[in-house]
Amino acid sequence: MITPHTLNRALMILLMTVATLWLVIPFTMAILWSFVDPAAPWTPDHLLPPVMSAYRWEFMWENSLLKPALLNSYTLAPLAALVTFVIAMPTAFALGRYEFRGKEIAKIAALLPLVVPTFVTAIFFTSILYQIGLAQYRFSAILFAHTVLFLPYAIRIMSVSFEQVRQDHINAARDLGASAWAVFRVAYWPALKPGVLATLLIVFIKSVEEFAIAYIVGQPGFVTVPTLVYASLGQDFNRPNAAVLSLILAVPNVILMLFLERLLKSANPALSSGKG
Amino acid sequence: MIRPSPWLITLLLLPGIGLIVVFIGAVIYIAIAQSIGFYNLSGESGFTLESWDKLLARKSYWTAVRYSLFIGFWAAVLSVAAAYPIALWLRKPFKGSLTVSALLKAPLMIHGIVAAFLFLNIISFNGIVNQFMIWTGLFDAPRRLQNDSGAWGLLFLQVWKNMPFALLLLTGAVQSISQDTLNAAQDLGAGAIERFRRVIAPLTVSAMQAALIIIFIDALADFTFQTTVGPTNRQSLAQYMDFFRSRGRWNEAAGVGVTLMALSLAGAIVLAVTARLIFRKRPIGRVLAWYEIRNKEARS
Repeated sequence: MITPHTLNRALMILLMTVATLWLVIPFTMAILWSFVDPAAPWTPDHLLPPVMSAYRWEFMWENSLLKPALLNSYTLAPLAALVTFVIAMPTAFALGRYEFRGKEIAKIAALLPLVVPTFVTAIFFTSILYQIGLAQYRFSAILFAHTVLFLPYAIRIMSVSFEQVRQDHINAARDLGASAWAVFRVAYWPALKPGVLATLLIVFIKSVEEFAIAYIVGQPGFVTVPTLVYASLGQDFNRPNAAVLSLILAVPNVILMLFLERLLKSANPALSSGKG
Repeated sequence: MIRPSPWLITLLLLPGIGLIVVFIGAVIYIAIAQSIGFYNLSGESGFTLESWDKLLARKSYWTAVRYSLFIGFWAAVLSVAAAYPIALWLRKPFKGSLTVSALLKAPLMIHGIVAAFLFLNIISFNGIVNQFMIWTGLFDAPRRLQNDSGAWGLLFLQVWKNMPFALLLLTGAVQSISQDTLNAAQDLGAGAIERFRRVIAPLTVSAMQAALIIIFIDALADFTFQTTVGPTNRQSLAQYMDFFRSRGRWNEAAGVGVTLMALSLAGAIVLAVTARLIFRKRPIGRVLAWYEIRNKEARS
């Protein structure tokens, strides 16, 4: 007789197999392809590549636009994270600490960049740049667009963090004669810290991953890691090269995302306010 | 909470919300204005519906509209339909449930373009799928699976990428349903389907709506999946818009952009309202009334 326990077990084995198939096999294939040596192509009659080497990695590093793409992506991302964070702070403070009329409307308005399709935003932002004659400043334009596009995440995370700052902690610090800085340090900072890190990290990841703005506004000539990977999947599709680029885009972000998840979990009000 | 002066609030909201409203407002405004002949980058500017006339007369425009709606609708519905049973199964933690959940949600962390590459790699002419099919004897020789005209590959990829997102939203919603409510429904004789239709779905309809809307908008405006694994005989609206833009035909690009925004809004409303209408039959009143009586009896 099939008991719920057996059924659960069978379901779990089935699902684990499916989940493994849809993650492990694709990634293993990508890793193997990135190590295929050009001297001996990987043909269907071989289970594994006949000769494996780091040639493709070295080749892409030396002969593709990988270096400028990495430089652009990893300069844009920290800047976008910092600027977005600074711009989001006053709004997040207002939404998290104050009660005012129209607060719900303000919260909905903050989500606007997520509702308008990014491709539409990208194309008509470029149109505006042409109208005002600033289309040549591609780096700054992308930085600006990333900042606005990722403001909803920063505002949301930081306003929740501000809500978690406990008024009794602030009052206690003030009653004890703490200076404004000391109040911030003992009452605000412990509650805000996980949110600050999460905001910086999420905008960083989003900026590194962003494609539409970088692709449209960056034309011609401005390349980021996602636009380079996209180009490698086009007409000149070369599997080993595309595998190298895909892994360069995917691996650091997966690690950062895992770190972010941990950070968001630790953003617990009880813990961050110092009280159990 | 403190109630400060409206001036202070305005000042605080300006850099964040103000910037968002001005930027997105300007994007929407310029798209609408360019679609009716204003802000031309070359030539005369002025009100005209010429680009709309041209656009609406094109068969390719309507094909793109139908195709994008098809992808948006099915991506949203299939992702949510696939996520529900898993969310219900993972509702109560059991040994290994966290691992399953993490594995299933992993595609959330993988970039869409990387996902497209992984998929292309698997289904390519000499890829593992073709080899497996030959090994099983189902295929005599490798077949071209890439860019299939039925968009099955594209839909698979959309569901692969979006199902974990739906799962994320639905897991929270499903976990908040109390076991008592489900027990009560079961005691009243509701079977598994009936319990889903009349208890679980109505109670989680908000999360369902959110998942449907977000996935719909994302898939409707898809560009990267379409241009990498999508059919080559049809264009999505985003692809169509970029086609006009890359040729400097901004008015027509704007027309497609406005269409995309209007369809996003209309589709989101239709999906939200339909989900609400289908699952509006709230049995909860009956279930809860019965539960209350049982509780009272137990107390007395």
